[in-house]
Amino acid sequence: MIDTVAAVGSAPRRRLGEASLLAAAGWAFIIFITTYMLIPVLVTAVMSFNSAAMVRFPLSGFSLRWYAGFLASPLWMDALWNSIVVALGTTVVSASAGILAAWAFSRYDLPFKNLLYLLIMMPLFLPGVVLGLGLAITFGGVQIAGVPLYGSRFLVVLGHSLWAMPLVFLLMEATFRTVDKRIVEASGDLGAGPVRTFFEIVLPMVSTGVFSSMLFALVISLNEFMMALFLTNRDTQTLPVLMWLSLRSAGTPNLAVAAVVLAVTVFASLTLIALWHIRSLRRA
Amino acid sequence: MSLAAIPSRETNAASEGRRSAALLERFTPLMLLTPALAIAVVFFGLPALTMLRMSFNLHVDQRLFVPGLTFDHYGEIVSNPLFRGAVWTTIRLALIASLVTVMLGYCFAMLTWLKPRRWRLYLMGLALAPMLVSEISIIFGWWMFFPKNGLLSYALVSTGIVHEKISLMYTEFAALVGLTYLSLPFCFFILLSVFDGIDRRLLESSADLGAGPFTAFREILLPLTRGGVLAAFSQCFIWTMGTYATPTALGPDALWTMGLLVQEQMLSKHNWPLASAFAMLLVAIIAMVMFVARSLSTRRIDYHD
Repeated sequence: MIDTVAAVGSAPRRRLGEASLLAAAGWAFIIFITTYMLIPVLVTAVMSFNSAAMVRFPLSGFSLRWYAGFLASPLWMDALWNSIVVALGTTVVSASAGILAAWAFSRYDLPFKNLLYLLIMMPLFLPGVVLGLGLAITFGGVQIAGVPLYGSRFLVVLGHSLWAMPLVFLLMEATFRTVDKRIVEASGDLGAGPVRTFFEIVLPMVSTGVFSSMLFALVISLNEFMMALFLTNRDTQTLPVLMWLSLRSAGTPNLAVAAVVLAVTVFASLTLIALWHIRSLRRA
Repeated sequence: MSLAAIPSRETNAASEGRRSAALLERFTPLMLLTPALAIAVVFFGLPALTMLRMSFNLHVDQRLFVPGLTFDHYGEIVSNPLFRGAVWTTIRLALIASLVTVMLGYCFAMLTWLKPRRWRLYLMGLALAPMLVSEISIIFGWWMFFPKNGLLSYALVSTGIVHEKISLMYTEFAALVGLTYLSLPFCFFILLSVFDGIDRRLLESSADLGAGPFTAFREILLPLTRGGVLAAFSQCFIWTMGTYATPTALGPDALWTMGLLVQEQMLSKHNWPLASAFAMLLVAIIAMVMFVARSLSTRRIDYHD
């Protein structure tokens, strides 16, 4: 009798031990993953305020001299400007092309749908080094109205769109599926053409999807540097490209400042688009 | 009133208008698709074909390329031990990094799924960080962490764990830490979406039926997430195969990857055909991995049906 009680009692006790062990492991993992994810970000942020000319720990003191140096350097400021222009271009190109294509896919029966889908999605799965090489050797000698295409921001925008457009397309295709088809048909029955229906009925319904896909495009373009390395020259190089080239020659706290500026640019544009989106929601 | 309106719609002008509207309706999808298809065909399809053709061209007298038809560049990749080694290094690095990433990402996603709601935002934000920060910034972060004067060495020496300054910089370990860091978010979000599709009550009922946490994991969670693990693994593998900046900057000098060779042959050696041959090989391996992952996951679905 006592034996049975002991046997019944021991199983839950063992399970309790297992559970607390698992909980401890869970906490250990959370601490580990927090440290892992934050190390490179925090190290960079701290180093950007370093006062010495060398990257070494412990820091000798704090200063803003590297920020002042960054803002005063035409080389770095030009690179930042190039990055912003390319990112805006990529957002416009990939968002408009991707959204229209996604609407075509969800609204109409298309011939060769799978093939078209594959063609649009494929670049997303290819490395930047492959896409960059292809663009570089294809458009290496091409000129439009006397201006060489190679080395222009235009080509980088199209290169980045190869990644941004499929993402926009994917996201918007899923979003358009949530649109009630009857509303679209009702708009047609009431006399609105497909263009007016799209802009006045459909787009306002999916504004959150549009907004997030534009964010994706913007962030991808701002951070990408493999294709940009292949496609830019000294005048059009983007900030990540300049950072990569400087790291290969010599790493200084200057690079930490550039990394912080790049991250701030990303977050600033996220905030701007978010604010714009909230305002347009409120107006509607 | 309404009856009178119906015949009036059948006037000539109206039917003409309807016909042109129908015509417009037929060409609308084409017009909608034109920008996307133009980008895909001109800036992806054309370069892909150009690269394929380029990989068979000749490379003589230090010129970028000379039109011709040769398999020499593919032959060179196979026969040159340096190049063969780079192909092997790329695959090995991608395999190890993907395995580690999937294991970490699995635990990470499972914890996010199991933890109470208020933890979710924090953990997801943590996973989002590497996605919002540029690869080059991350590389630079680790570049300041691993060397002799870096944070790791300083922290270890000042806490008395080691007495001499140490450097893990330019080791394969550093390269793997960087690669895992960058591919973890992809893995995390794929697996989290799979976990979110699982009914949490399954765990409760398995506990009620007497299964311990480990049994529940083995018998319930693992089978339900197998497809997600496969997708996450292939995604990580494809991504790590293609990137070369991280292993080049953090790993030892001898750590040659295929991406590095493409860049080297293109930008330094100006050997376009060989660079293209490497790129085509990279694409072929990626396509193979995708095909295998796809066929494995469809077979799984067939089995369940």
